[in-house]
Amino acid sequence: MKRNPLVLVVVAAIAAAMFFFGIHQARKNRAGGSVSGQLRGQPAPDFELQSLDGKNVKLSDFRGKALLLNFWATWCGPCKIEMPWFVELQKEYGPQGFQIVGVAMDDASTEEIAKFAKQMNVNYPVLLGKESVGQSYGGVGVLPTTFFIDRDGKLVAREFGLQSRSVFVDHIKEALGQGQPVQAQK
Amino acid sequence: MKQPLACWVVVLGAAASAQDAPPIKPVVSMAPAPVVTITQGKASPVPLSFRVARGYHINSNQPKSEFLIPTALKISATTDIVIGGTTYPDGHDMSFAFAPDEKLNVYTGDFEVDVSVRPLRSVQPGKYIVRGNLKYQACDRAACYPPQQLPVSFEVRIGKAAPRAHKNPPQSPHSHK
Repeated sequence: MKRNPLVLVVVAAIAAAMFFFGIHQARKNRAGGSVSGQLRGQPAPDFELQSLDGKNVKLSDFRGKALLLNFWATWCGPCKIEMPWFVELQKEYGPQGFQIVGVAMDDASTEEIAKFAKQMNVNYPVLLGKESVGQSYGGVGVLPTTFFIDRDGKLVAREFGLQSRSVFVDHIKEALGQGQPVQAQK
Repeated sequence: MKQPLACWVVVLGAAASAQDAPPIKPVVSMAPAPVVTITQGKASPVPLSFRVARGYHINSNQPKSEFLIPTALKISATTDIVIGGTTYPDGHDMSFAFAPDEKLNVYTGDFEVDVSVRPLRSVQPGKYIVRGNLKYQACDRAACYPPQQLPVSFEVRIGKAAPRAHKNPPQSPHSHK
């Protein structure tokens, strides 16, 4: 069978373009950055979880504030790196209406989670996570996973895994309505 | 030839652009265990070989922090076969970009866990399958994954013990002929 070289080149070019578009999209999603078009602007699913001090806390209790919703666990090394940054960011941006909410996706006891949070000098509420809450956010099979929510309770950005501090700052500003949407950083 | 190529590219591209959270993949796999022949009533180690996928690490059996989840093998209890101690390899100390000042004790690549198996003397000779789970918790350079349970199974062939030697009763030095 005789093959037309021009057709082969066109097919290869289309195939390559589709493949690299797919890879680009995957990297964008893996790295997080701006949440995909499907998520951006969507209302952050509300939930009610128990805090370390036994109070029932709803996400909607923080309506009107820009939120950083961080899913973490005591056994997660990269989560430990972020926490001191979060402590500083809470101090820095808290007066502007910013609030960090930690959700511990842990099998550890409340006492162990509280001990860990104390060791890390956590200055924001830590809630005891449930799988169903993670699922409502598309699944948090990777920790840390962090969502940024604006003052109207709408999703602004999502990050999987450890990111640089500057990425968090950009997203916080965006959630506060001070910045432009941030593209993927990786 | 052109159509299959184009189809594969479309499939790969579509898969790569999935928008949900990255799926949780099994990070540790077990190599087929050799069938070990063990004599009734005697203990013998059974080596189990595991492999951690490239780019990942799991905590060793003795991680350096109380909050880390150790790798641990749990064998299901059997009535006629006693599972003795489990011997884990030493992990190696590594530091990662997410914690450059902290050394974690981890397994990467291939590692072997030995399980001591002792069939009772009353066990019928033959082949037996022993089952269990390896619990581990994996991370890569930037993220961690929830604890996983890897099903583990291996076969042992139990052989008949030699008949007990009967000692002759001591004879009197004053034997009578």
